[in-house]
Amino acid sequence: MAAKHSVLLKEDKCEGCTNCVKKCPTRAIRVHQGRAWIKEDLCIDCAECIRTCEYHAKYTETDKLGDIKNYNYPVLIIPPSFYGQFGSDISASKIKAAILKLGFKRVYDVAESAAALSRKTLEFLENNSGSFISASCPVIIRLIKLLYPDLIDMIIPFKSPVELCAEKTEKMLEEKENIKADIFLLTPCPAKLTTIKYPLGQKKSFLSGAVGVENIYQKIYDKLSEVTEEEAEQFSDFSPATIWGQEGGETDILKRWRGISSINVSGIHQVKKILDEIERNNISSDVKYFELTSCIDGCVGGVLNVVNPFQAKFNLQKRMEQISEMEKEDKNDFIYNFLITEKIEADDVGKLDSDFNKAMEKLEQMEKEIELLPGLDCAACGAPDCRTFAEDIVNGLANRSDCIFMLRKNVGQLADELSELAHELPPVMSSKKEENNESKRSD
Amino acid sequence: MGADYSLQKKEILNVAIERFDFQSGGEASSQLKNLLRKLGVGSDTVRKTAIVTYELEMNVIIHSFGGEITAQISEDELVIYANDKGPGIADLEKALTPGFSTAGSEIREMGFGAGMGLVNVRRYADNMDIRTAEGEGTNIKVTINLEKPLSD
Repeated sequence: MAAKHSVLLKEDKCEGCTNCVKKCPTRAIRVHQGRAWIKEDLCIDCAECIRTCEYHAKYTETDKLGDIKNYNYPVLIIPPSFYGQFGSDISASKIKAAILKLGFKRVYDVAESAAALSRKTLEFLENNSGSFISASCPVIIRLIKLLYPDLIDMIIPFKSPVELCAEKTEKMLEEKENIKADIFLLTPCPAKLTTIKYPLGQKKSFLSGAVGVENIYQKIYDKLSEVTEEEAEQFSDFSPATIWGQEGGETDILKRWRGISSINVSGIHQVKKILDEIERNNISSDVKYFELTSCIDGCVGGVLNVVNPFQAKFNLQKRMEQISEMEKEDKNDFIYNFLITEKIEADDVGKLDSDFNKAMEKLEQMEKEIELLPGLDCAACGAPDCRTFAEDIVNGLANRSDCIFMLRKNVGQLADELSELAHELPPVMSSKKEENNESKRSD
Repeated sequence: MGADYSLQKKEILNVAIERFDFQSGGEASSQLKNLLRKLGVGSDTVRKTAIVTYELEMNVIIHSFGGEITAQISEDELVIYANDKGPGIADLEKALTPGFSTAGSEIREMGFGAGMGLVNVRRYADNMDIRTAEGEGTNIKVTINLEKPLSD
């Protein structure tokens, strides 16, 4: 099955509870027939359901090391957050040398491209008035497309650091060494994988695939002891822009360099709250930049990481203590094509009907259904709350009797009717009885 | 037979608002925004409505003794009403001057009362009508034109 999203369900593990249904920020999940169905057009790959599921029924399928060996010239690019997976006593060079031992021909840091993007962002913010939202987290772009389409124009029109790095690497290897490489991302989250199949702001992704950190972490760890000093020395250590791997990293650079006023928010539910405030103009116009990430603490909190987010954040911070200041200018930045090539479009979902009159009729029906429902938002019907359930009914996707309270009420009424009927006697009997009574009376 | 909403207006929002109930601020705006999206109203209009409604409800919370926000819609326009129980606006011209506010220092410390409320409403609304008198309630009627959807 070719799924549009990277969050998948192990049917045998799903217990049909509604924990994920309640936690989904876009109300994309319904439980029917004892299993959770994800509505593809509403899923934004935030992985909240993976985090929530106590039965580990939700998972992500990323590329495995075995698949990658089939490629001619596989290259791995490493996101800044990955360095949080190791204590700061293990050098970045050593980690990269260990990765080479797994069959990758080259290893590059996404952080280099993130640094270039920071320089570009500063230039952009100085030349454009208004406030902008970072485009680095694909979940946030999908969330805006889906629920906040009126804010699309605020998304800074640049590619993500991951795509910039993949594009640059591909170009560099081809032009300088005549190598046709396949670029893979070491990904901390499912969203970045989906973006390869369904790119944002680009016709085609420059990545061939993505390997989840969970698929490869132990193997890298095991190879660390085999790395010699000479092998490690061929790599530069790591870029100061590695700070992008955690919440506030991107804005920290903007603040320190040019004092750009910015706000950073992490965690998809909190991000929805700030987008509400931005939408109603309730954030002062002094704020020029918003760094919004779906995972709490930023990419170190990615669901495919192995080390827990608290330790990972600590590790990254510790590593950052050893770093020198970042280059504020780099003449090599010309290699990047920062601008997106495709317009980010609003998702056309959520309306009850494309005809206004029909939509109004459905809205009225929906309000009537809501009146009938208990309003407990118990999710026993499989929808996250009574409002969404009412909408599903109006759209023909659910029945009123899926509500356990409506069912109970109906059964109650039925039982009352039955009991009334039971006390009524068949006509033949009742007439005899009456006759008897009358004859008795006449006696 | 369905009703023809190009001719008649239908109430789609009715939110009661209490004085100084800051916790509920944004409720009317949020509800109305979600309703408009279900009706397929365009993004720009949704944004305008979110801003206008939020300003109106915060005005009722901060400046009035309580009131309500209601909204009616037909195919070509949305009308939002903010009706409160007083105390009324003493000098309407001043209230419509950017930067003018009667909000006290506590309100200003909370980040409100910058004197842009009604100014912003007027800026984003297609029409604004205010009826008020000192010592009486204030009735504000805001109209937002709905763009015709592209027929395809």
